[in-house]
Amino acid sequence: MRDKFLMAYRSIRERRTRSILTVLGIAVGIAAIVALMSVGYGMEEAITSELTVYADVIAVFPGKITGPRYVELGGFTDRDVRDVQRIGGIKSIATMTYDAAEVEYRNKRVPIFIIGGDTKELGSFYLEPVGLKEGRWLRENDYKACVIGYRVANEFFSEKVHVNDKLVINGKKFIVVGIFEKGSMLYANDVDPHIFLTLRATKEVLQTHEIKHILVRVYNIEEAEAIAGEIKERINANHGLDDFATAMTMGSVIDQIGTVFTIIRGVLVGIAAIALVVASTGIMNTMLMSVMERTHEIGVMKAIGAKDSDILSLFLLESSMVSLVGGAVGCGFGVIVAEVISFCASTALGIEMTAVVKPAVLFGGIAVAMVVGVLSGLYPARNASMMSPVEAVRYE
Amino acid sequence: MIRTEHLTKVYRMGEADVYALREVNLEIKDGEFIAILGPSGSGKSTLLNMIGCLDTPTSGSVFIDGIDTASLNENERAEMRREKIGFIFQQFNLIHTLNALENVALPMFFAGVKRKKRLERAEELLVNVGLGDRMYHKPSELSGGEQQRVAIARALSNDPEIIIGDEPTGNVDTETGRAIMDILEGLNKEGRTIIVVTHNAEVAARAGIRKRMRDGRVLD
Repeated sequence: MRDKFLMAYRSIRERRTRSILTVLGIAVGIAAIVALMSVGYGMEEAITSELTVYADVIAVFPGKITGPRYVELGGFTDRDVRDVQRIGGIKSIATMTYDAAEVEYRNKRVPIFIIGGDTKELGSFYLEPVGLKEGRWLRENDYKACVIGYRVANEFFSEKVHVNDKLVINGKKFIVVGIFEKGSMLYANDVDPHIFLTLRATKEVLQTHEIKHILVRVYNIEEAEAIAGEIKERINANHGLDDFATAMTMGSVIDQIGTVFTIIRGVLVGIAAIALVVASTGIMNTMLMSVMERTHEIGVMKAIGAKDSDILSLFLLESSMVSLVGGAVGCGFGVIVAEVISFCASTALGIEMTAVVKPAVLFGGIAVAMVVGVLSGLYPARNASMMSPVEAVRYE
Repeated sequence: MIRTEHLTKVYRMGEADVYALREVNLEIKDGEFIAILGPSGSGKSTLLNMIGCLDTPTSGSVFIDGIDTASLNENERAEMRREKIGFIFQQFNLIHTLNALENVALPMFFAGVKRKKRLERAEELLVNVGLGDRMYHKPSELSGGEQQRVAIARALSNDPEIIIGDEPTGNVDTETGRAIMDILEGLNKEGRTIIVVTHNAEVAARAGIRKRMRDGRVLD
């Protein structure tokens, strides 16, 4: 076997330029697959890893999501909250209310969304993942204090807002006690353009008792779907409507994202597969030429006792060695390309993302290269092995 | 022993049938040194290819040690070539990517001989043909005579009973040709059957038996 490798290697080296070009052809195809898959996995993980922290969370809205549209149908009542609290398996509940308010700073007035809720629960949902740039978080007894998002502090007003500055919200004065960091991809829309108040202050400023949002944490993630169903049922019953409430588990959101990414990856791999088909015709062409050039040599080998199977295996070995090298080089390229794409994407889009290179993708890449190599080498190798020795020897 | 019976080979050239061999009946006993002479197109090489199991007859048979080679399949014929027959070609036909030692070892490789044993024997064979110092040279670095001696060593690698030479001296100068005939004579003295096709009267004179061919028939 070692000698067959050696012979195949010699003949690959003999046609060095052509072999290198063939290797490159396969490498490009494999690199495309590996890079696209790794970037795809990286994107998926960047999104889901932020979400998995909230796998035990059920978000409840008073409204209906149809496709990309959300129609708000009003607010929850205290009775809704009490009913939800009575459901078994729930660890904690946070209620939030929000609405737009007119905010004034140094004579400029801007409409801004105000979010209010239990400071501890708001903290666990927004403070922990995003973090503060300056100042401190809200305390339960802060009636005249607010914490503002990054864009509120830096973009909304003609001058930047700092800690200890005063904002006038719907005519009432608040002191800025903290400013959020810039939110990453998932939080940019939830935190950056908003102002956070305690629940009591919010109710006063917005003149409302309506609860717009209930966040529920469950003990057992497995039960989340069932509990979400029950929450919906109870609130719908309270309001006498079939679709008043939407209760979404983070698990189902993560699943949906997973499905979307599986489709995206499928499409990307399909595109990369085209590159591979092109590469495989390259191998076949190289091998066919090699067989033709070596017709005489094949005849000689047969004359001195080589069997058809010897010739077949020699040529197959040659094509699979070329494609193995192509596959390995392609994997290496692919990883580098994936890292570069991820780096560019995270710098350009301001999101945290690293390529996820799965060993299965690498092995798969090499395996695909080998299969392509063997399949496209099969026809030329069979041609070679079927040659009549006497005609092959005579061929010059 | 080699025996042909009514050996006939017909090539189809367009509409016409061309007889390369017509009803050739020939017997070559073990240990004979036979030269086949004749003009181009007389069927010498075709006869050699039939005896060497490189080609199959249209009709008739070739028996080697009692086995009808036409009844063998491709693999069995390959085995026959490998074990019983050594080929020497006019063009030497060495594999140019392999060095002398590897070329000589190649038939043993196809026979499944272990690497170490193979290289030892190849070395011994090259020393015997006087190329002990040229073992690691590629064919392109060897002279015609040297290449033909490598080819002879290769023909001997599986220790065959029959050596077939198709114009073995056709591509070398007279002096080298004589040296090659010396080697073949030596192999014949060891008891091997030597069959040589040649144009050259001097070469033919060294053989014990001479047969002439014309138009696909063996004369005499």
